[in-house]
Amino acid sequence: MDKFRKQFIAGIIVANPLFVLALGLCPTLAVSVTIDNGLAMSGAVIFVLVASNIVVSAIRKFVPNMVRIPIFIVIIATFVTIVDLVFQAYIPALYETLGLFLPLIVVNCIILGRAEAFASKNPVVNTIADTLGVGVGFALALVTISFFRELFGTGSLSLFGVDLFTLPVLGEHPITIFILPPGAFLVIGLLLALFRRTGVTKSE
Amino acid sequence: MKADTLKKVFPIISITVVVFIAVTLLGLTDTVVRPRIEWQKEQKIQDMLKEIFPDMTEYTLEDDIYMIYSDGAEIGFAFLAVGKGYGGNIDILVGLENETTVKGVTIISHLETPGLGARVTESSFRDQFAGLNIDDVALKRDGGQIDAVTGATISSGAVVDAVRATAMEKVKSLEKRE
Repeated sequence: MDKFRKQFIAGIIVANPLFVLALGLCPTLAVSVTIDNGLAMSGAVIFVLVASNIVVSAIRKFVPNMVRIPIFIVIIATFVTIVDLVFQAYIPALYETLGLFLPLIVVNCIILGRAEAFASKNPVVNTIADTLGVGVGFALALVTISFFRELFGTGSLSLFGVDLFTLPVLGEHPITIFILPPGAFLVIGLLLALFRRTGVTKSE
Repeated sequence: MKADTLKKVFPIISITVVVFIAVTLLGLTDTVVRPRIEWQKEQKIQDMLKEIFPDMTEYTLEDDIYMIYSDGAEIGFAFLAVGKGYGGNIDILVGLENETTVKGVTIISHLETPGLGARVTESSFRDQFAGLNIDDVALKRDGGQIDAVTGATISSGAVVDAVRATAMEKVKSLEKRE
């Protein structure tokens, strides 16, 4: 049990995909504009990450080494397309804001990375612990980035479409650059530096 | 010899099986959610038409033009216009109450810059269209009646020009039909 917990925790802090490994930055830059977007993207990524790696782990003994990457990609793409269809059918508003970045989860390097580095060599239970950890780590990082971008970029915060509060001065004069792509680089860079400096995360 | 051949074709067999299972799963999912997706699209168009024509009770689609009815009486028509914006195409739904007067416009989708061009979707910009004669749908600097969104002249102009040009074209095609 202790081993599972270690595998789970590792993905959150020591091997956080965004703040330590700097993986999956592309969708993060694009999607982390509001907390709602961040949460929806996290949900989709966690589902695809865990589900596809369970399958990869379950069939690892039957997959010939030569064609393992195409097989992993087919498995990941299948789950991504399912998520894409379900979002389109049941939460169309989020489907539209996430747009192209939903199908692009297929090439999210966090997922293929876990399949190649962990799931293809370890039993299903360990894979679940590992991918859940990485998934939660990604979600925490993504929501943290979204929080700062939404707060400074719009001067207000909202959750599940409900407005929480508006800042006095920023509400009228938001720092627009934060919701534009350069703002994502600024926030990610500053948070990365902060976590390194305070020792929350360590470089390899 | 035989074992060797088997070893060679096994990768092909395994990937075929995986793809076959994947396709079956996707086909099943699609069958389950497709009606719901079609319903969502239908609902979206209806909601947007209702936003322009609050009195609408039903609508019909004839050659890309939505005819709007309220309890059987025709109260206007609507159609799609596409503007060339700063970030890409801007899809606009335009409602006219008769051959000359605009009833309202809504933006269906766009790729404009958030906080700047994207503000063409806000009602402060869109409300300016209501009640205008088609000929007056132009930015003020071009002699029309519409104020551009501050800092987003290209996006504003794209919407305005697309609405005017498409409205003229659709009115002409309606007149021809009658």
